[in-house]
Amino acid sequence: MSKAKVNGLKILTKADICLIGLLVVIAVGGIGLGMNRLASSGSGALTAQISVGGTIKQTVPLREGYRQEIQLKNGDHYNVIEIVNGKIHIRQADCPDQLCVRSGWIGIATQQIVCLPNRVVIKIVAAENDLDDIAR
Amino acid sequence: MDIRRMMILSLFVAIASILHIVESWFPLPFPIPGVKLGLANVVSILAIAFYGWREALLVALLRVMIGSLFGGTVLGPSFAMSMGGALISTAVMAYIYQYHRSIFSIVGISIIGAVFHNSAQIIIAALLVVSTGLLWYLPYLILFAVLTGAGTGFTAAYLLLKIPRDCL
Repeated sequence: MSKAKVNGLKILTKADICLIGLLVVIAVGGIGLGMNRLASSGSGALTAQISVGGTIKQTVPLREGYRQEIQLKNGDHYNVIEIVNGKIHIRQADCPDQLCVRSGWIGIATQQIVCLPNRVVIKIVAAENDLDDIAR
Repeated sequence: MDIRRMMILSLFVAIASILHIVESWFPLPFPIPGVKLGLANVVSILAIAFYGWREALLVALLRVMIGSLFGGTVLGPSFAMSMGGALISTAVMAYIYQYHRSIFSIVGISIIGAVFHNSAQIIIAALLVVSTGLLWYLPYLILFAVLTGAGTGFTAAYLLLKIPRDCL
C-alpha cells in the first residue's frame, strides 16, 4: 500500500465526502419519516401490545386513571411492566443491558420499547376509531 | 503460517477482544439495541490492510467469541448481533479495500464498515424479536455510524502511517 492511500488524515477523497453526505441525507430523511409517522398516527383509543418473540402475549388499554402491573415471565427471564395513566414503561428486568428500563415511559402511538435479551417488544397502537372502547 | 504472522495476529485478536469488552462498559445515551462505538473495527481495518480478508475475518470471529465469553453473553441475542455485525462489516470493508481502494480512503471504508455493522445488528435484532418496528431505529444508527466510523477510520489511518512495516 502506498503512503498516499493511507494519508486519509488530511484528505478525505471526493467519494468519502459524497458518501458521508448521502448517508446523512438518508439518515435525516429516515428520522423525518419516523417523526412524520409518529405525528400522523391515529387518534383513536391507544393500546399497548406486549409481545414475546413475535407473538402478542397481552394487550392493555392506555387511558387516564388506568393502572396495571404486569409480571411478564419468559422462561427464566422476567420483565416488570407498569401502566399508569396512559403511559407504559418497563420498571424492572433481568436483562444484562437494561436498555428497556432506560427507555423510560412511552405513550404515543407507534412508540416502542424493546428488550432484546428477553425478546420483549411493547408497541403502542392506535385504534382507527373509538369502536374498540365501546366493544370492550 | 509463519510464527511472526501468527504472533501478530494473536496480538490483534487480544487487542480487539479488549476493545470489544471495554466498549461494552460505556453506557451510550440512546436506549437503542445495536448502538456500539465499534472500537474493535480499528483492528479489523489493520488486519485487512496488513494481511487480507481471510485473516481479518479470522480476527473478527475470534474477537467476538472471546469478547462474548468475558462479557457473559455467549450464544445470546447480543452474541448473534455482534457476530453478524462483525463478520459482515469486515467482509464489506475487505471487499472495498481490495477493489475500490483508489476511490475511498481508510476513513470512508471505515464509515461503510460501521454502517454495515450497525445495520446488520439491527436487522438481526428485528429477526430475533420478530418485529419490523425495530427497523425505525435504522436511520439513527446510520447517523451514529457515520460519526463513530469516521472516528475509528482516522484512528486506523493514523496507525497505518505510524506502525513500521518491517515489524510485520
